[in-house]
Amino acid sequence: MSETHIIDVGEGAAIPSRSDWGLFNAWTISIVGAVCTIAYLILFEPSPYKRIIFYLADGVIITFEVTVISIICACIIGLITGLGRVSKNKAINLLASTYVEIIRGIPLLVQLFYIYYALGRLLNVHDLTAAVIAMSVCYGAYMGEVFRAGITAIDKGQTEAARSLGFNTKQTMFLVILPQAWRTILPPVGNEFIALLKDTSLVSILAVSDLLRRGREFSSETFLYFETFTMVALVYLVITLLLSKGVSLMEARLSHYVRH
Amino acid sequence: MKRLFKSLFVVTTCAVLALAVVGCGEKKEEKKAEAPAAAAPAPAGPKTIIFASDATYPPMQFMNEQKEISGFEVDVIKAAAEKGGFKAEFKNVAWDGIFAGLASGKYDAISSSVSITDERKATMDFSDPIMPIEQMLVVGIKDKATDLAGLKGKSIGAQIGTTSYFVVKDVKGFKAIKTYDEVGLAMEDLVKGSIQGVVADSPVAVEYTTKKYADKIKIVATLKSDKVENIGIAVKKGNKEVLDLVNKGLAAIKADGTFDKIKAAHKMQ
Repeated sequence: MSETHIIDVGEGAAIPSRSDWGLFNAWTISIVGAVCTIAYLILFEPSPYKRIIFYLADGVIITFEVTVISIICACIIGLITGLGRVSKNKAINLLASTYVEIIRGIPLLVQLFYIYYALGRLLNVHDLTAAVIAMSVCYGAYMGEVFRAGITAIDKGQTEAARSLGFNTKQTMFLVILPQAWRTILPPVGNEFIALLKDTSLVSILAVSDLLRRGREFSSETFLYFETFTMVALVYLVITLLLSKGVSLMEARLSHYVRH
Repeated sequence: MKRLFKSLFVVTTCAVLALAVVGCGEKKEEKKAEAPAAAAPAPAGPKTIIFASDATYPPMQFMNEQKEISGFEVDVIKAAAEKGGFKAEFKNVAWDGIFAGLASGKYDAISSSVSITDERKATMDFSDPIMPIEQMLVVGIKDKATDLAGLKGKSIGAQIGTTSYFVVKDVKGFKAIKTYDEVGLAMEDLVKGSIQGVVADSPVAVEYTTKKYADKIKIVATLKSDKVENIGIAVKKGNKEVLDLVNKGLAAIKADGTFDKIKAAHKMQ
């Protein structure tokens, strides 16, 4: 086998072709490794591992629920914040900036405690609701920054061209700028999704029965710490890998759409 | 040709790594074997025993405002140390994982209102019982429920990995059984109304319902059990040295009335 580097002249830079290693890339190794380990442990060591996975099952669903709902809410909040941050209206701009500054300055763990226990005395929210609110508010601020960066990265000429073609400000933003900004926004937003998924493990401190809490319940009763947390880590890894694959597929689709 | 080199490289790397791992393992074993021999002539003066306590459990063990671990059980151990001829040092360790730390030798013993159960006895050794406790059901002050059955369809809570949780975890009919890192958080949730009942050890239940939240929550029932639940000091399985010292101290303070004095000072029933 000769090691050929296919140089894509059109792209300008010398990039080794991806097909060199075929399926032998980090993602496939990780997912195959994780799934095989889980399968092996369940099939050949069912005595603790099968019990563990059954115990964890409803925790996985809760983690998934919190993640999906928080991602959707955080995206909406992030978009609004991002638009607020680039707004010419000073009041809106100030409001959005203050929100970002405050939320970014408080650790997520503290926000969770604050919303559930501190504010809980005033408005009694359900634990899952509190978890979703805290995650969305926190990641909304982070995503707001990503959206702002994506929007400001679009060349000013685009706005000028749109405006001179008779688009109003709203149309310019939603029909011209945002569709282009998506391409820059998506990779960092994908990273935020994955970070959010992993940070949902923090909600277990509110006694939400998520994946981590279920693992802790099981291990604190059976003392099978190694076995339980191996399983918890592997399950998190599989979910995160699937999510990251989803994001990169979306990226590939978008860049394909843009090139042709 | 290149491929051959590549696979050769991989094989050698694996072999070297494997050897390194085996080598390290052997070295550790050697060290372990040497350690007791080296430590044996060392003890001069009383032995220091490090106790792990989850200091979120008033009145048994909690952090006072001077940031010292204090409480009833802490005083008992301090008195036992005096009589038993050892030095007691306390370390604040989160409950969830306190047993894992004992197993991996991060401290010598656990003094954290640990109930002596058969399941726990399988993985660790216990001192003689310090005192018996019961499991109590705490509900909101206006709640009409008088037992667990009265809370069917509602949510209840307990601290994770405690006997309080074990007594309710298999009871069917609750909307949810929530596990908390600290018993105080469960009580807070009860006061707030997120859950309708908390099961806790009797000293803790009494503390919260008479002091902190006296006007908000109350004890309604003692959960019956066919066995007496005792709390004791947990040590790593086979650690006879520490166990003997602790037992000696506990027996001494029980015999000379110091234990009862501490009990009276803390107003324990």
